[in-house]
Amino acid sequence: MLQVEDLHAGYGASEVLIGTTLTVKQGSLVALIGANGAGKTTTMRAISGGLKPSRGRVVLDGQEVQGLDASRIARLGLAHAPEGRKVFGPLSVEDNLLLGAYGRLPRFFGFRAKAQADLDRVYDLFPKLRDRTKQAAGTLSGGEQQMLAIGRALMARPKVMLLDEPSMGLAPVIVQEVFRIIRRLKEEGITLLLVEQFAKSALEVADYAYVMERGRIAVEGTPADLSRNERVIAAYLG
Amino acid sequence: MNASIIGQMAVSGALMGLVYALIAYGFQLTYATSKSINFGQGELVMVSAFFSLTLTNLGLPYWLMVPGGLLFGALLGLVVERAGVRLALEQKGEGWILLTIIIGLFFFSAAENIWGRDDRPFPTPISADPIHVLGVDITRIELSVAVGVLAIMGLVELFKRRTLLGKAFEAVSADRDAAELMGISATRTVMLSYGLSGSVAALAGILVSPITTVGPTMASALILKAFSVAVVAGLDSGFGVVLVGMFLGALESLASFYLGSGWREAPGLVLLILALALRPTGVFGKATIRKV
Repeated sequence: MLQVEDLHAGYGASEVLIGTTLTVKQGSLVALIGANGAGKTTTMRAISGGLKPSRGRVVLDGQEVQGLDASRIARLGLAHAPEGRKVFGPLSVEDNLLLGAYGRLPRFFGFRAKAQADLDRVYDLFPKLRDRTKQAAGTLSGGEQQMLAIGRALMARPKVMLLDEPSMGLAPVIVQEVFRIIRRLKEEGITLLLVEQFAKSALEVADYAYVMERGRIAVEGTPADLSRNERVIAAYLG
Repeated sequence: MNASIIGQMAVSGALMGLVYALIAYGFQLTYATSKSINFGQGELVMVSAFFSLTLTNLGLPYWLMVPGGLLFGALLGLVVERAGVRLALEQKGEGWILLTIIIGLFFFSAAENIWGRDDRPFPTPISADPIHVLGVDITRIELSVAVGVLAIMGLVELFKRRTLLGKAFEAVSADRDAAELMGISATRTVMLSYGLSGSVAALAGILVSPITTVGPTMASALILKAFSVAVVAGLDSGFGVVLVGMFLGALESLASFYLGSGWREAPGLVLLILALALRPTGVFGKATIRKV
């Protein structure tokens, strides 16, 4: 569903990605782990178009999308819940969710009715959001904002969802909640690429995992393989 | 000096101040989406007013001329965005400042060549008869300014809150990159904001022309006041520009009455200096205005 081949990207003269290659099969949950600064978030941004890759290919559902505008890639079926959540603070929870489905809703009137089924689905998944539909997203707690960011990405009914550090800055109880939700998304058959600092938790839910070091994939394999890899254990699981 | 004269002056001035508020609102629209403003906005007001005058002279009735003028203003706004703003923003530079000034100068020369340098009256079907409200005379033209300004600002605010496209506009204002991830094209949203801003400028020109007459320099004083209002109110509060605009209008009117007409421009400049010194984000503002 998503293939990344020999991806190079960076900021100005400094190249952060030097040939990243990975594959996310339909319906699978793939984890991308690695130390801070290894290039995980840069990989996500280069896939979703926030950063233009200087070399390499990104293939989404059979179509090459590298170099396209982020908005175009999003409309082709990629939803990216970015690092730091990036909810629209001044807008209400419901407006944030509606904007998640922007690509398939009418622009002027009748959009709420058309999105109702998706809204209900997100509210069923995140009951806390249902109580706060009119509240400004910026006033939610960090955990609630993360739920909103995931819900907003779900609203797009994406072919592939990128989840970047969903547990960042959250209390341990909330982190458990986030992973419970990730499991639930996986059960629903959503294709997911997950970047996570909690490598252990990420490997527990993933079907397959890549370990990034200095801008390229250093090790890859099933979680069972990686849990036996001494290098991975020493660096990330110890 | 009695209270009724003061009241009369203040009310007339405040109604005029709504025109400053409307132009300042045009700055806010483009600042929200792109953190840029059109420094040639005054020329947009003036050229749109001339164009509307031409439509009227061609025999178009007032109520058809107004939408024609607004459409023309929107087109000019799009021209400014395409020619003066987009490339500069893509390069994350400040080139738009100089470019929008240059485009304004170009519009100014074009207007002088097409319509001449003379000030011309702007016919309107709205009568100049005053109506009495609480001991104050308000002309119907002044009233039309107030109604027009509040109506278009109300419409734009409704658009932003009630339609998905409007919410997308707000989303780009809040976080451009995140909005792109939702499939919202930031480039198109910036175009939309410049189009709206151009329409707003055109309406300001149409509303004020029956009072000030139409001429190439008609907007130079207006635009200074609009800048003052935008800076004093801040660049993100529509409500703020209305209040500050009316306040400044009233203050000006009183200053020119008591101190002589030479002092008309003083309150705006004093307010501008005070705001920059004491509260650079504006009285109602949250956004920081970058000093360039």
